[in-house]
Amino acid sequence: MFTTLISAIAFGVVLASVIAIASMGFTIQFGLTNMLNLSYGGVMTASAFVAYLLVSHGVSAWYGLIVGGLAGSLMTLVLGRFVLRPYARRGAKLFEMMMVTLGLALVLDYGLQALSHDNIYQFTVLQSSPIHLGPIVITPTQVILAGLGLVVFVGLELLLRLTRIGKALRATAAEPTLARSCGIRTGRVVIVTWLLSGFLCGLAGVVYIINSQSVGYSTGELFLPLVIAAALLGGAGSPKGAVVSALLMGIVTQVVAAFGQPAYSTVAGFAVLVIVLLARPGVVAGSQGAEAQVTL
Amino acid sequence: MGAWEFYITTLVVYFAIDVLSAFSLNLQFGFGGIINLSFIVFQAIGAYVAAAVTLGPDTGQNAFQTYIWGASLPFPLPLVLATVAGAALSLVVGLFGLRRMRKDYQAAVLLIVSLIAWEVAKSDVHLFNGSNGVTGIGRPLGTTLPLSSLGYQWVYVVWTLAICIAVYALVRWLSSSPWGRALRAMRDQEDATISLGINVTALRLQVFVIGGAIAGLSGGLLVEYIGAWSPGAWGYAETFVVFTAMFVGGIRNYKGVILGTLLVPIIFLELPRFLPPIGYPGLIDSVEWIVIGLMWMGSLYWRPQGLLPEKRNMVFPGEFGSVTGGGSKAGFSLASLLRKGQG
Repeated sequence: MFTTLISAIAFGVVLASVIAIASMGFTIQFGLTNMLNLSYGGVMTASAFVAYLLVSHGVSAWYGLIVGGLAGSLMTLVLGRFVLRPYARRGAKLFEMMMVTLGLALVLDYGLQALSHDNIYQFTVLQSSPIHLGPIVITPTQVILAGLGLVVFVGLELLLRLTRIGKALRATAAEPTLARSCGIRTGRVVIVTWLLSGFLCGLAGVVYIINSQSVGYSTGELFLPLVIAAALLGGAGSPKGAVVSALLMGIVTQVVAAFGQPAYSTVAGFAVLVIVLLARPGVVAGSQGAEAQVTL
Repeated sequence: MGAWEFYITTLVVYFAIDVLSAFSLNLQFGFGGIINLSFIVFQAIGAYVAAAVTLGPDTGQNAFQTYIWGASLPFPLPLVLATVAGAALSLVVGLFGLRRMRKDYQAAVLLIVSLIAWEVAKSDVHLFNGSNGVTGIGRPLGTTLPLSSLGYQWVYVVWTLAICIAVYALVRWLSSSPWGRALRAMRDQEDATISLGINVTALRLQVFVIGGAIAGLSGGLLVEYIGAWSPGAWGYAETFVVFTAMFVGGIRNYKGVILGTLLVPIIFLELPRFLPPIGYPGLIDSVEWIVIGLMWMGSLYWRPQGLLPEKRNMVFPGEFGSVTGGGSKAGFSLASLLRKGQG
């Protein structure tokens, strides 16, 4: 009983690391642009497929992580500049922008379905024999993935707090008009945000398939609810909040999977969002959010 | 000729069911302003419930499928229960999903509901037989009516069209009633509507539940026709077909919605059946979805108001009585002339 709980929590931390990486990317993009980008899951899957192709051609999965991240950066930048920005220029509001990203998600997902021939591919790399840490049986890869989440979090926090571009990013997210009149080149900040959030998105895609050991066209779309839920819970633009809620959701999901029906594990993660919605409606109601503008 | 007749009648049944779905979403989204991205869930629950109460009790002898609430109820009851199930589920979802929050958050929450519900129905075999779904659902009165299968097709066409027209009359009446005007006021100016003393939370929940009931009804009609239902039939993307139909045809305009339904789910999704097979099996399906996504984005970019835009509510002097709900006694007025002139 106790052992099951402890190992469920350990697996929860590993899952949380995957959610957290994706959710940190989502939240800085969301914090800056104010728009819910539902094509995020599609970019995640596409980057995961890029890594899959590399690895199946004999490249090490560690390079796969980096290349997957770069692929995510590039795709997010291209989609942001050439697809989403024209809509924002036409005066689309937050809700219309979300609908556009939804259409984009459809195009990405089913494009990947067409390219992948609707198959699920095995991705069994970096698997090693499990080790025993007290009552926990875990593979070294999973430990590394959990560590990677921590590294990304610390790196992102340092970037946002200590560097000039990080400060510019936070300023633009808080007050785009004021930031621009203070001499911050907000156009560049938006580009950096696309690149940064895209990198985290791609990285999360690869980390996710290393953890789940398979990749299919709907991988990202089915994972996206957890990512969005963690970002909404944590508050827009807050990597710390994203990490805390990712930990909460990861652990709840795995504990429910260990003790109850696995089918309901995702539902339990979602239930966390619903409970917070009911208990603290202010989290998402956000009075200033009603007038928030799209920044692109 | 028989095969063609069969095909055409099938298309008409699908068309009527798709129009019902579009009416439901048009009421919720077009008039109520609720971006119900979990629409397909309410159609699915209607279909599952209608299936379970038609199939008979789950005795365990039919070991190939398991489901809950097994019963074999007589003809109109499965449809009634499907409607009730759609309404009940939308009440539950509405109670937490329709809280006052940013519209895009609300849409995201409803989309998450759709994905989660699908995941649960797919992985929990005990609910409705998991990913294999339920099959072998008998057609209503299929054994009692002395008809050939083609004759039955025509009966079903008339039956679905009759329901469709009844629902059309209902939604037309609802959207022009004082209730419908409050709904439009809430959509356009929520704060002003609250200041008029209208309870917008209750109003939003009401329109969500009515839409859910229509969605459940359409699901029941569909499953009684095709005889099977599984998670493959209601992925989250199916909701977007209905939305695309609305965007293309014209949101808030019932004729536009019907036109969009004819164009998108019927003509666009049915025509590729006549294409010679290209690539591997399933490629055409994927490409269809890609084009649906592109149509969606294109109509948002070039023509957000749709092919037939909403008619603005205009009040003509002679018509004041009917607008305020009193009903104009004068059968002939300048306003009615003007209206006829507009076509």
